[in-house]
Amino acid sequence: MSPKASTRVARGIIAFLFVYLATPIVVTMIYSFSTSWVKTILPNGLTLKWYSELVASPEFMAVLLRSFCLGLLTTLIAMACFLPVVFYANVYNPKVKSHLRFITVLPFTIPGIILVTGLIQLYAELPIPKIIILVLAISLLSLPLTYQALDNAFIGRDFRAMFEQALVLGDSPFKAFVKVIIPNIRAGVLVAMLLTFTSAFGEYVLTNLLLGGNFETLKIYMYRLMRSNGQASSVLTTIYFIFLAFISLILILIMQHYSAPHKSTKEGAKK
Amino acid sequence: MKTRLKVFFPLGLLVVLVLLLPITVMIIASFQSADGSFSLENYHQVVSTRYYTEAIRNSLAISLVASVISLIIAIIGAWALTRLAPKTKNILISLFNMSSSFAGVPLAFSLIILFGNAGIWQALMTALHLPRTFEIYSLSGTTLAYTFFEVPLGIMFLFPVFEELNPEWKEISSVLGAKPMFFFKKVIFPVVLPNIVEVFTLLFANAMGTYETTFALTGNSLVTIPTLIGTLIDGGLTANVPLACTFATLFALVMTAIVWLGNRVTRSKREVKA
Repeated sequence: MSPKASTRVARGIIAFLFVYLATPIVVTMIYSFSTSWVKTILPNGLTLKWYSELVASPEFMAVLLRSFCLGLLTTLIAMACFLPVVFYANVYNPKVKSHLRFITVLPFTIPGIILVTGLIQLYAELPIPKIIILVLAISLLSLPLTYQALDNAFIGRDFRAMFEQALVLGDSPFKAFVKVIIPNIRAGVLVAMLLTFTSAFGEYVLTNLLLGGNFETLKIYMYRLMRSNGQASSVLTTIYFIFLAFISLILILIMQHYSAPHKSTKEGAKK
Repeated sequence: MKTRLKVFFPLGLLVVLVLLLPITVMIIASFQSADGSFSLENYHQVVSTRYYTEAIRNSLAISLVASVISLIIAIIGAWALTRLAPKTKNILISLFNMSSSFAGVPLAFSLIILFGNAGIWQALMTALHLPRTFEIYSLSGTTLAYTFFEVPLGIMFLFPVFEELNPEWKEISSVLGAKPMFFFKKVIFPVVLPNIVEVFTLLFANAMGTYETTFALTGNSLVTIPTLIGTLIDGGLTANVPLACTFATLFALVMTAIVWLGNRVTRSKREVKA
């Protein structure tokens, strides 16, 4: 195969994959705009009625607020737990990294459904608010995302020198970290925060099983609507998808904005 | 020493509170009989009750088929991705990332609209006077559903591996007179194989632990290990948390072993390289 032909084949494959993965999403979107679409190939008509109905319902706002708070708290806890450790591991003690690697496979060996079993066995009878346990557990399960994004932020620059100069100039370690390190890794921190927030915002398994559906977040609401009102559920699914697309767009922009200078330093180092 | 302690304290506390303690308690509970004494009764139930062995069989069947199919598609997809322009690559990776976070309730709902009893696929089949051939709530339907997040996940794991392959190798080997097939068998395959094995173990483990998509798609009509655990925790009258702990303990042990083995394959290769 000539390189040109193989590029054409590659484009074809990616286009096929794209259609395959996007079809369910596109169909759901069309469904959310259709007056009714049952047992026909095309919808009967188009309308915005379902959107105004869902957005006007008081439940909708309450659900969004709950998921938003869950996402925010989780992001803060994940950052507090991981920022210092990833900084320390990268700058002072790279050996720690091999021990941290177990965290990246954690969601595969102990997925949510397994973790929640242990959490219920341990905390069901204890007088600790379950919501605290929930936030901590979601933070733990989002750590691989947080870790990888933060770890990438430390590639390619001498943070140790920066940090130690700030210490010599009389800053406390915490102050030096906030003033000197954070501004230099802010793209990585932002990416890590967005990924953590998104995963907590759409959490289902832990929230549903640990709190028994009493704390209705986005996905739990979506599941309830799915069983009772298909149109409303398709609207919620579409809104959720637009939210994910928006986050992805921000991530792409951050990467494109920050990757250009980064690349040149890398290539410079190679030469 | 003091700063080290401060640095690791928040993460350490988190790991102890919501990982080590619950998992330890879970393992202990799995060995407890109804009156609290040590017994293997729960484990005996797992292997001797037909409903429970069916859950294990379903989980293994769905996960094996879904991860093998997804792995093959992901290998082709990741290869295709390396041939595109750098800017397109970044955008596509973000899109794959997004579509894998669409898994769960939204995915199940979309597939029901598409393939469900009142869905578009059935309407199309009826219009064309074709028999109903495909049932989304079945074993094969669930397997199809899994590929929607397993394929993007596989591509995201494999793409960096393929991207690292050096195009110069191909030139060198063809200068030395190697045929493309020989080059593929003797150069590319040995480098990539351990990574493919590792990615396979991760995809398999991910499929085995999938609860949300299965539950949202089939309710409790299709029993897998995760949905069974869900019922044992949440099921009101039929709730049996110690038995859920037994399933969860077995699951964690087997998956840790598999993922550890998958990791070792690539680790040993890396050490040889270094």
